[in-house]
Amino acid sequence: MSPDGGLSIVGTVLAVAVGCAAASLWLLLPRGESGLRERAARRFGMLLGAVALGLFVATGHRLGGVGEEATFLVVSLVAVIGAAATIVTRSPVYSAIWFALALAGVAGVLLVLGAQFLGVATIVVYAGAILVMFLFVLMLAQPTGMASYDRVSNEPLLSAVAGAVLLGLLTLFIGRLSAGPPSCCAVPTKAAALAGANRPTDESDEADAASEPAAADTPNTPALAGTPSAAAGSSPTTHRPSPPDMLARDHVARLGGELFGRHLLAVEAAGVLLLVALIGSIAIVSRTPPEERLEARPRRASA
Amino acid sequence: MTPAPLVLDGLVVGAMLFALGLVGILARRNLIVMFLSAELMLQGVSVSLVSWSRHHGDWGGQMLVIFVLTVAACEAAVALVFVLQAFARTGRLDSAAWQSLRESNLPRVVDHELPASDAEALQFPRLTPAGVQPEIDEDEALEREHV
Repeated sequence: MSPDGGLSIVGTVLAVAVGCAAASLWLLLPRGESGLRERAARRFGMLLGAVALGLFVATGHRLGGVGEEATFLVVSLVAVIGAAATIVTRSPVYSAIWFALALAGVAGVLLVLGAQFLGVATIVVYAGAILVMFLFVLMLAQPTGMASYDRVSNEPLLSAVAGAVLLGLLTLFIGRLSAGPPSCCAVPTKAAALAGANRPTDESDEADAASEPAAADTPNTPALAGTPSAAAGSSPTTHRPSPPDMLARDHVARLGGELFGRHLLAVEAAGVLLLVALIGSIAIVSRTPPEERLEARPRRASA
Repeated sequence: MTPAPLVLDGLVVGAMLFALGLVGILARRNLIVMFLSAELMLQGVSVSLVSWSRHHGDWGGQMLVIFVLTVAACEAAVALVFVLQAFARTGRLDSAAWQSLRESNLPRVVDHELPASDAEALQFPRLTPAGVQPEIDEDEALEREHV
């Protein structure tokens, strides 16, 4: 998106793309039709979806390059197509399988964006654990044949329009980020912190404000040196680490140092949360419905 | 200070995943598909967070995504238990089976003119039976009852 002049053209293309996306989703979602009409609508919806994706690709001028960006294009297309197929597929089992494909795409996106550990963790945690749990529940609970509620949607037109409006607004906002100086809330604090780190006077007052970016500036600091004074004292330099810094070879080690240094309490809280969820789910699932409990009581008395 | 390359693209992909998840959770009626859509929205937020992490060159976004993963695992465990309990009570995975919980001023959801059954039944290829019926050994049939 060029900063000036091209914005209106990009906006028009974006509007057309969003409209195509909404129409395609509306055609693809189950609407209780059957037979030839549904198949024709589905084909037309897929065509419209391809058009929408192509227009989206056309609006981003960086996409379609070579190397990293081409990889990003491919994996993001996999993610988005998998996500769209997840929500429009009739059978929930196929839906879960498409979700696995979307997860693979998301993992690829995270890898390209420089989060190697998170890409692998997404595959392991989501595709390996959560999705298998979903499939277990589906096997336990799926009635035979295709249920009626899988073939009808709640207000498919309105929800497709709602999603398309949200997507259009988000994309417009993101496009404006590239056009001008970003008016986002995160940038002024960063600039203020950088200015504060530059100023040699009143060090103690600025230490708090500068602590976060300063600690981020020095990924090499030992894990437990994350206290504000130590971090601000050890890194008077103001240069922002470039993104390739996160692609370093010891990426996971730095991530672990950050996780178990500054975020140690959050790790403990997450562990407690996992334990509570485990106990809670066991407690809920072992509670039988009232009518079965009446039957079960004499049996337990005899045993 | 314009964002680094791929940051905007990552944000757009995150927005697309989030919007698709929103459409799914609004439109679909199967409880499990609704749940998958919620997970899609989480994935969109994760991609956005990692993009911002790349933009700022620090670890905050990636840290947050790690905790998003943790909370998603907890949420999946608890919510799937609820889905199983709901299925045990109604025999359906339909969110409209619980519409007696709706607000009193909302109309009732009624399924109208559904096709009796899905017209396109799955057609699997069948092999033509050929030859003679083989003699089946009783003991062997007991051992391999599912073959």
